[in-house]
Amino acid sequence: MLSIRFHGRGGQGAKTASRIVGTAAFLEGYHAQDSPVYGAERRGAPVAAFTRIDHSPIHERGVIARPDLVVIADASLIRDPAARVADGVDERTVVFVNSSLSPDQVSVQAALPGRLTALDLTGIALREFGKRGAISALLGAVAGRLSGLHRDSIRDAVARELADLGLSSAVIERNQAVALDCFDQVPVVSVEPGGPRPAPPVQLHRPTYDAPTKGTASITVGPNSGLRSMSGWRTFRPVLRPDLCNGCWLCFANCPEGAITIKPDGKPAVYYPHCKGCLDCVEVCPTDAMTVEREPQGVQP
Amino acid sequence: MTAEMMTGNLAAAWGARLADVDYVPAFPITPQTEIVETLAKWCGSGSLNARFVTLDSEHSMMTAAGAAAATGARVFTATSSQGLLHAFEVLYTVAGWRVPLVLVNVSRALASPITLEPDHNDVLAARDCGFLQLHAETCQEVVDSILLAYRIAEDARVCLPVMVNLDGFVLSFTREPVTLPDPEVVKQFLPPFRPAHLGFTASAPRSLGTAVFGGATYSYFRHQLHLASLNGLRVYEEAAADFERLFGRRYDPVEQYRMDDAEDVLVMTNAFASKGKAAVDAARAQGRRVGLLRLRMIRPWPAETIQHALQGRRAVAVVDQNLSPGQGGILFQEIAACLYHEALRPRALCSFIGGLGGKNLSEGEFQAIFEQTADAGVRGTGIGPVLLFTESEHREVEQLQFLAHELKTGR
Repeated sequence: MLSIRFHGRGGQGAKTASRIVGTAAFLEGYHAQDSPVYGAERRGAPVAAFTRIDHSPIHERGVIARPDLVVIADASLIRDPAARVADGVDERTVVFVNSSLSPDQVSVQAALPGRLTALDLTGIALREFGKRGAISALLGAVAGRLSGLHRDSIRDAVARELADLGLSSAVIERNQAVALDCFDQVPVVSVEPGGPRPAPPVQLHRPTYDAPTKGTASITVGPNSGLRSMSGWRTFRPVLRPDLCNGCWLCFANCPEGAITIKPDGKPAVYYPHCKGCLDCVEVCPTDAMTVEREPQGVQP
Repeated sequence: MTAEMMTGNLAAAWGARLADVDYVPAFPITPQTEIVETLAKWCGSGSLNARFVTLDSEHSMMTAAGAAAATGARVFTATSSQGLLHAFEVLYTVAGWRVPLVLVNVSRALASPITLEPDHNDVLAARDCGFLQLHAETCQEVVDSILLAYRIAEDARVCLPVMVNLDGFVLSFTREPVTLPDPEVVKQFLPPFRPAHLGFTASAPRSLGTAVFGGATYSYFRHQLHLASLNGLRVYEEAAADFERLFGRRYDPVEQYRMDDAEDVLVMTNAFASKGKAAVDAARAQGRRVGLLRLRMIRPWPAETIQHALQGRRAVAVVDQNLSPGQGGILFQEIAACLYHEALRPRALCSFIGGLGGKNLSEGEFQAIFEQTADAGVRGTGIGPVLLFTESEHREVEQLQFLAHELKTGR
């Protein structure tokens, strides 16, 4: 069985990528299974998705604890402990990172034990599509290539899955072309499907009673969400051009995190430590005063 | 028909569509929403000729479902978790009306604390309401079980609502190959709904679930409900045989996996049983003679089949993906009760609680289950309830607790 784990941020397309690979494998006659996992659906939050491929019916479900291939849609996830990208990664795991850095640079900075490969899918998407958006087709194509799936089945699977999302045929065709470019370009590190490996021994814990102050689910920090830094979630950041701002406050009203405040002069200001980079403010701005800048790529120490 | 990749939720929607339902009262809830969204889309486009109505709560939704079924319409609805609890009063009420509707529950652990991932405290809370219950392991089984559910529900020997359960996320959002039954063949399996005792018009009004006092009348009707549910065993067997003849897939009330020479047996339900099967394969590769018994039908309780499958085994481990606080595993109690009078009952019964809130059951935990169960079988004394939790999971939770409280006292 080949086990592929995708890590992305809500809205990037990790789930659709897992489906593209699942469908491509299914079209090639394999047994396939794909599934996502996420909490409260929230753009920018870490999400994971799983694809399993086998010659025989699959008797596994849920999370993939020991992946053969890990696909990381956003390099910022590597240093986000909540994303758990390193879980079960060992020397034989192939790890793909969407990064503008070279595989060697990523390898040095990510400090993951797996065999790394990288390609700047976000850069390619910006160049080819001229705007930021989901990179599901590109991720799916790269994962398909690394899994040894065929170009034709990836092309078909991209069409099926993007059509399922209601995209127009022009958009789908463009995605197919760019995805297949990524399929051809990604530096290949061959994935070897995991044979039966002995299960890692597990130490069981016997739960004991704790005082209710500890044993009930509660958070005792007061202004919890406002203090939480979410700057690591951003692939892009909104940047205000005050000269274009008409002071309508739509960005302030629409920010789902309350990360935009209004200054005494009536103009908005983005509080970057709490901005997750969803760019809802950019979408609602009627004067295009809220612009987009790509966050520096790579794994910052 | 060829297979296609499909989520458990889409398979559930297809079950309703293939059953050609007339009425779908709906209220969305994660992780069920995709089911009602899909049905809304199909009703809108005309590919399903049914009336789709959104209600203001699950309580209203179940009331509407029962009332529509009482007029003789074929009714489908779906909910999950908190939604099922919100509908709870009405579950008992419509079961007493003896209306044969189908309710899909997408299992999600109950608050609080709140989560979205599955365990079975929701569906098993509804164990005693009079609905029949079928629990699915695969997406294929979801669509097939809904067709079986209508067939049993509408049989005059039963005439009760049926709940079909599938796990949130692990099945609801998981795609795998599903072969849809041919709609023409479904018509043979599930003839049009023509209930003799249901249906009313303005010129012929009737009351259902009327008041009865004094106990004896009440007891009579409750006994009838119980006997109807028990009839479900026989009716199910017939329906499953027909289903196999027409569609080639066999669904016994309990599934026996590698049980022939198994000395120790794992008892599980729902989608995590797939993981149990993988664990059985791994344990057999190491020379352990183990098997898995998957309970598909929870109500009526297929006691004889279970007794027959478990008699003479060395040890039985029930993995409950639920927890009755202050007691333990719900299904463990039922398994233990139905084995008590067996002369050849297993030497040891072991109770494990695992997978609460969708917690993974790792290969290592299954290995521990097999080891502890084998030891118990040798000793001849049962164990449990064992609360499955690993040291590394414990460390992670402690870390989260530290973060949740540290900021208050800190800076």
